[in-house]
Amino acid sequence: MRFQSQKVAYWFFATCMLLLSLQIVYGFIMGFARIGFDGLHDYIPFNTARATHTNLLVVWLLTGFMGAAYYIIPEESDRELYSVKLAYIQLISWIVVGVVAIIGFHFNWWEGRKFLEIPRPLDYLVVVNVLTFLFNIAMTIWEAKKRSTTQLVLFFGLLCAALLYLPGMIYFDNQTLDSYFRWWVVHLWVEGVWELIMGGILAFLLIKLTGVDREVIEKWLYVVVGLTFLSGILGTGHHYYWIGTPKYWLMVGGIFSALEPLAFLGMAIWALNMYRKKGKDHPNKIALYWTLGSAMMSFIGAGFLGFAHTWPSVNQWTHGTLITAMHGHLAFWGAYAMLVLAVISYAMPNMTGRKLFTGMSGYLAFWASNIGMVGMTGALAVAGITQVYLERKLGMDFLVVQKEIVFHFIGMLLAATLFTIGITYFIVDFIRHGLPSNEAVGKNVGDID
Amino acid sequence: MLSKSQARAFFLGGTFLFGAIFVFLTIDTLRQNDTRTNAQNLTEDVLKGKEIWEKNNCMGCHTLLGEGAYYAPDLTKVVERRGVSWIDVFLDDPQAMFPGERKMVKYNFTKEEKGQVIAFLDWVGKIDANGWPPKPNIPVGSITTAVPPQTTSSVVKVSQPEKFSQLCVACHAVGGKGGNVGPALDHVGSKFDVDYLNRWLIDPQVIKPGTNMPKLPLSDTERKDIVTYLSALK
Repeated sequence: MRFQSQKVAYWFFATCMLLLSLQIVYGFIMGFARIGFDGLHDYIPFNTARATHTNLLVVWLLTGFMGAAYYIIPEESDRELYSVKLAYIQLISWIVVGVVAIIGFHFNWWEGRKFLEIPRPLDYLVVVNVLTFLFNIAMTIWEAKKRSTTQLVLFFGLLCAALLYLPGMIYFDNQTLDSYFRWWVVHLWVEGVWELIMGGILAFLLIKLTGVDREVIEKWLYVVVGLTFLSGILGTGHHYYWIGTPKYWLMVGGIFSALEPLAFLGMAIWALNMYRKKGKDHPNKIALYWTLGSAMMSFIGAGFLGFAHTWPSVNQWTHGTLITAMHGHLAFWGAYAMLVLAVISYAMPNMTGRKLFTGMSGYLAFWASNIGMVGMTGALAVAGITQVYLERKLGMDFLVVQKEIVFHFIGMLLAATLFTIGITYFIVDFIRHGLPSNEAVGKNVGDID
Repeated sequence: MLSKSQARAFFLGGTFLFGAIFVFLTIDTLRQNDTRTNAQNLTEDVLKGKEIWEKNNCMGCHTLLGEGAYYAPDLTKVVERRGVSWIDVFLDDPQAMFPGERKMVKYNFTKEEKGQVIAFLDWVGKIDANGWPPKPNIPVGSITTAVPPQTTSSVVKVSQPEKFSQLCVACHAVGGKGGNVGPALDHVGSKFDVDYLNRWLIDPQVIKPGTNMPKLPLSDTERKDIVTYLSALK
């Protein structure tokens, strides 16, 4: 780490680790409920577990993005953060809002809209919080002498993510419109501006880890995020096939969804090519694993598996089945979870001065969690395809079909256990790194630049 | 090869162009929305029903228009599929209707609230959703032995009472059609006499303590019709 103020990122990353662990716990609650062990039904019914599981995902990823921004922006701007104090206030209030929301879910206090369950009063606090964060980042960039594309793309992504939260806060009487604008948040985040953030973070990591000329990396950053918006904006249409919107969305959504894998393919080719062009080896191989892994897994999970069921004539059968859950798991893991874990793997040795990347545990964390996640996706895929055929194509009763696929959820739970072992290794490593130290300020471990 | 400024122009130009098309399509979607969703039928009850739907995060298990979680059935066409009286009985005690099955929270809705939820679901079911959900397109007949032949050939002289098709078929099958939570009723008439069936429907618990069969809200006439029908199933 170059600057003292980058230390604040550590606390965001630590929060990430905590929220990720909780997310996994709630995932297990849901998995067990699906195979008939619903002992917590009276305290944590499925809808509570589900809202908690998905919202924790969103919150821990956003926390990771914020931490990444607090780490990256000072370094890219070549100056200290505008206000460290503000960053701490922002983190603490962020955690408070998150905790209150999660506890609220257990007392039937929520908005009841998928992914946007956080109750309305807390929404306002989220907005204030995110504005504080953006102000801090913006002032840092504003007062910096250095401008870089990475810095600006990352900022633009964070700004748009904040702006696009707003359409989700309008109340509509009409279910169709409610759904229509809910996707402005959910889809345009995940398949739009979050990819911008992803591109920015990826560019930073590639510059640091491969040592390829910044100009080259940043040029391709523009191409990749250009492809993302070109396909992703109208790709929102794949959520508009069956919710009561006009028929032309079938065509618009179909065509542009089919283009969406291109952005992810671009991301993967870009990352791999930059790695191929590298001048010399960076010692932090584990950070490189996560970085390149994220680029590739996002293509498989978000790009390819998304492509596999967004074509209208396929989607009419798979819409609202476990096929969506299958795609969702690998997409979020590859594109965003792995990326946050990449930043953490890269930043921890720099912040603490401890070179733990030489041991085995980092690789175990990487492989166990990835194989586990691919296993979970596979189990959900088989369950989903079975569901589509029995329930949709043959017209069998929902509950009858659910009994037929219980076995695949046992498989999913086994894969989830392997995944959890991987994440445990990651968290243990995180703890072993210890706190950021002042001695680590001013020098990065083995950076090629 | 592409220069950095060309790459930037590609990004900014693409974003602006496709953003503009998206806004244009949104305006047109809003224009057509009232007709496609029958906005004139958004009564007070429907709106209240939507509030109840959201307040209890029903989407955390169910899907509606295919959106939500995947733990419980899609409810887009539930009013058409199950009928108002079934949903009404079901909401009083979901677990009693599907004993030993996947659990739903018992919300203790009032009669009025149940009506509002049903009104909302009924309105949703009539939205023009481009033909979704599609009808099953693999004929069950093409897959043999799904229905044992003797049940299909049984001749039923009494037609099925309305209440039976609203309530009973959710758990019991007749002629291979219906649920499989309770036993199939194809030959129930030869197993039990009229008196037994009548007492059974009045209060199942009295006849067989601990049974999963719920006590159904049936009027005397409705019960009589069902008993007559069941007795004819031989």
